[in-house]
Amino acid sequence: MAELLSKPAFREALEDAIKGREAKNASFSQAWANGELSREHFARWAENHYHYVGPFADYLGYIYSNTPDTATDAKDFLLQNMYEEELSDVRHTDLLIRFAEACGTTRERVMDVDNATAVTRGLQGWCYAISMREHFAVATAALVVGLESQVPSIYRRQYPVLIEKYGFTEEEAEFFDLHITSDEIHGERGYQIVLEHATTPELQARCLQLVRHGAEARFSYTKALYDTYVSPEPAVANPAPALA
Amino acid sequence: MPTIRFSTSDREVEFADGDEVNLLRVAIRNDCGIPFKCASGNCGTDRVRVEAGADHCSTPRRRERERLGELFDQGYRLACQTYVNGDVTVAWDPEQIGLDAGSKVYDKLRQVWLAKDDGG
Repeated sequence: MAELLSKPAFREALEDAIKGREAKNASFSQAWANGELSREHFARWAENHYHYVGPFADYLGYIYSNTPDTATDAKDFLLQNMYEEELSDVRHTDLLIRFAEACGTTRERVMDVDNATAVTRGLQGWCYAISMREHFAVATAALVVGLESQVPSIYRRQYPVLIEKYGFTEEEAEFFDLHITSDEIHGERGYQIVLEHATTPELQARCLQLVRHGAEARFSYTKALYDTYVSPEPAVANPAPALA
Repeated sequence: MPTIRFSTSDREVEFADGDEVNLLRVAIRNDCGIPFKCASGNCGTDRVRVEAGADHCSTPRRRERERLGELFDQGYRLACQTYVNGDVTVAWDPEQIGLDAGSKVYDKLRQVWLAKDDGG
């Protein structure tokens, strides 16, 4: 039977669970950072990203409902995170839509889930399932450590490109600027909560498994954007008949 | 190795040469005691006075400059908005709260509540 890891060893294992699966290294992220994408590609990204991050406060709300009142630090973090997503200043999804409109798409297109890829819809479904069904420390590991904590490393490479190469204004690209710093803190607080509340070997193992799954999901979501919009496979001229 | 000195809590944290680290993240991870609330540069709870090493702090962005106002000219930074790439010393008032706990945040909430009232 596995032994309980010390907090430093568990932290290192959590960080290792992301390594090799970082979304910053997915093809779409690389092309963005290298200035190889167009505004149309950014528009398609926004139309997908909305359906992943748009419900983030909903995901956190489900985690909150599974968090015991003794875990005050976790409840405070979840509430603060939800509040920042929705109410503290401009709603974060409105910042995303502001960027999308600057790329030439519309609020209606962004909000229409039919414009998202199947992989994006899968990522959203995974987030809902984990937040509803898992222990609050495990769900925090999956969504905050596995997904949200990666944001600064992605956007710190993408934001300067948007301003310097593509000529977006700071206001148009505020969604990225805001998350570079806020998700540093959310990510760190997520780590602290997971380290504090994953108190059995089984919980630690499940946290590690779902951080890995989360990182894989975000990588796949980002790669699918490239495969769908930047370098789609050629259409099959004579598709084989469907199997009965 | 570069060192961040948290003089109010008498703590020091080293980080790797060549790294650029978020000041509040380092403080949270190492339990250095900087007060904070939001993580978006809105509340100002995490303001710190840079006692040494201001040149090793990132260039402030618009959000931080606007939030700090004249405090910025007095050497203050928001820890959540500040990245550090060399030796720095910071201090703060352990009892400090948000810069305007009564205005911006509650105005937004009030708008939401009033909109609901209007709707029935």
